[in-house]
Amino acid sequence: MRVVTWILRIASMATFAGMAYFVYSLLDSNDIWHWAAPYDFVVTVFRLLSLLLFFMTSTMINGLAAAFSGSVPNDVIVGLYNTLVLRSWYMQPYGVSDPMTNLADVWSSFQSNLASVLTALWDNTFLFLYFLFAGIGIALFLQSLVRMDHKFVGGAFLSIQSILILAAYKLLVVPNLDPFPSDFLVFLSNNVQILALISFAYLEVSYQMIYSYSVGKPIEDREETLKKQLLALRQATRKQDAIERGEKVSTTGMSRTSGATAFSFLREAIERKIVGTQDALENLDAISDVRRLQIFVDELLQTDSKAKDELTAKAASPSSVYVIGSTITGSAIRFLSVIAIAFIFLNPNVLILLLSLPPGIRYSIELLQPEIILLLLVPILLAFPFASMVITWFSRREIVETEKLTKEEKEAERQRKREFARRRKEAAKARKARAKARKRRKGLETEVDEWDKALEETYRR
Amino acid sequence: MITQRGFVVTFAGVLLLTSGFSFVNFYFILLGVYLLIGLVVTLPLFALTANIAGIEVDRQIDKVKVFSGDFLRIRVTIRNISRRHFDFIEVHDQYPETWILAIGENFIASRIEPGSSIIFSYILQARMRGRYFIGPTEVIMRDRLGFHYYKRTLKAHTEVLVYPTWKDVRRMEALGKQRQLGLMFGAHRTKTVGMGSDFVGFREYVPGDEFRLIDWKTSAKRGDMVIKQFEMEKNIQVICMVDTSGSMGNGYPENTKLEYAIRAAVLLTHIGLERKDLIGTCVFSDIVHSYVPPGTRPNHMYDVLEALAGAEPRGWSDYETAISYVVQQTKKRSFFIWLTDLEESPAPLLNAMKALVANGHKAMVISPFGPWFEAPVGQFGPVEKVLSEAVSEELWERRNKIAQALARFSIPVVNVGPEDFLPTIIKTYEQAKQKGVAMF
Repeated sequence: MRVVTWILRIASMATFAGMAYFVYSLLDSNDIWHWAAPYDFVVTVFRLLSLLLFFMTSTMINGLAAAFSGSVPNDVIVGLYNTLVLRSWYMQPYGVSDPMTNLADVWSSFQSNLASVLTALWDNTFLFLYFLFAGIGIALFLQSLVRMDHKFVGGAFLSIQSILILAAYKLLVVPNLDPFPSDFLVFLSNNVQILALISFAYLEVSYQMIYSYSVGKPIEDREETLKKQLLALRQATRKQDAIERGEKVSTTGMSRTSGATAFSFLREAIERKIVGTQDALENLDAISDVRRLQIFVDELLQTDSKAKDELTAKAASPSSVYVIGSTITGSAIRFLSVIAIAFIFLNPNVLILLLSLPPGIRYSIELLQPEIILLLLVPILLAFPFASMVITWFSRREIVETEKLTKEEKEAERQRKREFARRRKEAAKARKARAKARKRRKGLETEVDEWDKALEETYRR
Repeated sequence: MITQRGFVVTFAGVLLLTSGFSFVNFYFILLGVYLLIGLVVTLPLFALTANIAGIEVDRQIDKVKVFSGDFLRIRVTIRNISRRHFDFIEVHDQYPETWILAIGENFIASRIEPGSSIIFSYILQARMRGRYFIGPTEVIMRDRLGFHYYKRTLKAHTEVLVYPTWKDVRRMEALGKQRQLGLMFGAHRTKTVGMGSDFVGFREYVPGDEFRLIDWKTSAKRGDMVIKQFEMEKNIQVICMVDTSGSMGNGYPENTKLEYAIRAAVLLTHIGLERKDLIGTCVFSDIVHSYVPPGTRPNHMYDVLEALAGAEPRGWSDYETAISYVVQQTKKRSFFIWLTDLEESPAPLLNAMKALVANGHKAMVISPFGPWFEAPVGQFGPVEKVLSEAVSEELWERRNKIAQALARFSIPVVNVGPEDFLPTIIKTYEQAKQKGVAMF
């Protein structure tokens, strides 16, 4: 299965590269791929912050000085302060080039510069976001190749598509199929359609890759884990034997090197410092557990020739040839059906052909609007889950299977309950009788039981 | 049912569609349609093929009765009895939370062809006595791309009875072997002089002694009449009363007062059976849950283990009911060892003891002292420390009073903690043997 996963991994890489390249080249006409854009954005953000801070500190100091001295500080002091601030300022405030000598200058400079810095920031933000999404997309894509998690695949896909959505929002030239081609072959060979198809193919291939991995990997892991566990177990018992014989055991590093740390049963023992130390001998429980497990496993492997295969579930490994074949046929069917159905939905001619629309709609501009696809998309989309629901109803599906008790078992259970109820009843009856007798005895003061007396005496003391 | 992955694709599809509508862009619409159609197009086919009723799961275990701490292999067989293959099937076989997965894994994910089967196994360590259930087995079937799934729970339960731990017995046997003195190391036999065939010694003749016992040779040597004395080994009858009231469940898990009491009962029964003594066990709280009369049948040990395995700490201790139940069924004089924390009101306890002594039985109480089984005082803050010490003192005072009251009936009370519980029970038994309490 490893080979299949690798083939699909390469296919995933190819489709992702294709998708990314198409997005890059189709947006290139907008001249947005300035490689300095992220740097510009960061600098603009800091200059904006610097402007805000300069304005705030300058106003605050002036206010404080006025509060303490009783008058507005003169221009020399303000100028001196602002010079000092700007000297020690690493990032020059946006639009401020010289120290200003009074507060009114600072205010007017702030008002005039804030609007321009915000506009610059707005433009830079979009440029930055294209790069950010591209970066996130690539990072998630690389993660998906290693971690084999659908979240990374979905994230990478959405990140790359988000670049186009942002560009569309910014009213840039983005790939579009307007007007929608009425010829199927023209539609198929269109660059935009190829981008959509390659994007879809990326998802399909990546999910197939995850499938191939998740079907084959657990079995391989299982075998590997079992090997490690058995090895760790044997090493632990050998080590214990050596300690018991009084031989020196140099390190306890075996746990890490042989993968015993992945073996919770032993790991627990190691964490409690039981295996591998002289004091360990005192803790007989943990040692005997490890040793007994070793004996149990040895016996099992000796007596049952299939035991090892069953522990590794070797027979469950699926055939690679079948997985490749079914991947190709499954994907081909999905591609063809998706393209055909999408073309039918989006082509206005098909709509006109299928539905006898009233002339008002038929000759209106509404027919060329994207929303018109909802007319067919919603019912057809819902038809698939509905069909599957109907199939589910008709096929035999038991959700929860409860084991039925045999007649004897039921009878035994009933008998047991009856017996407990009887005992409970008897006990309650006896308790009542005892309480009654005690009450009666209390009434006859002369007849005090000597045992009761002894108890009372004991408690009185 | 739609999976998380399916929801992600739906979200992406809807996002692209709405973007397409907002920006009048057919590329977004086309991609959105691709995603949504791709999500549902194979759904009817999946529903048709993934008939989960076509999967059969069978679970096999080596033993249904094991000791706590023993290992158990679980084999799970998954069969595809339908005529279709299942692309992705996940099987999770559940096991009790307190048990430990020692070797292997309790789940598998694979594809399964029609008519074929997958077998996997794993090894568990049974922890803590009681009645446990392995299962149910959860089968999840997913489509190839993981957009949809069906779930089914099969083969609900396999019952396993876990006996109390056998490690104390094993340890005692190991100790005996190490000293090379056999299993009976340190044991003292209960002897009755006068009968039997083992020679003890000589004593002076007193009128009324049988003539056949006179040892003529020795008499001739001594010049006085002496008779030969013989002795015979006698066995004793012990009944272990295990209190399973709610308060006995206090303490650390696996180290509660009840667990120690059960371990003590197991050890006592084992030692007794080894020496051919009769040991009975009664498990009680507000009713008698089970009573195994004293006996030496081959299965006696297992009966005791089964009675103790199902003991759960709940209810309150009704000593009177317990004693009346046991006394009714016990004709011979017996030695009763109570394993109880004495946390009920003393009057019923004293009444029970009165009934017991009145019937000619002997008794002693081995009582786990609550605070010694709970969190060590060292772990407490200053306020908790003072409080716990105050509570301990109060309890200790109360216990002393009970002990004084019981002493009047010649019933000793031994307060025990986790460390000395088991040694105390062995010591008690040895002393009973030496003194010849409750011989039969």
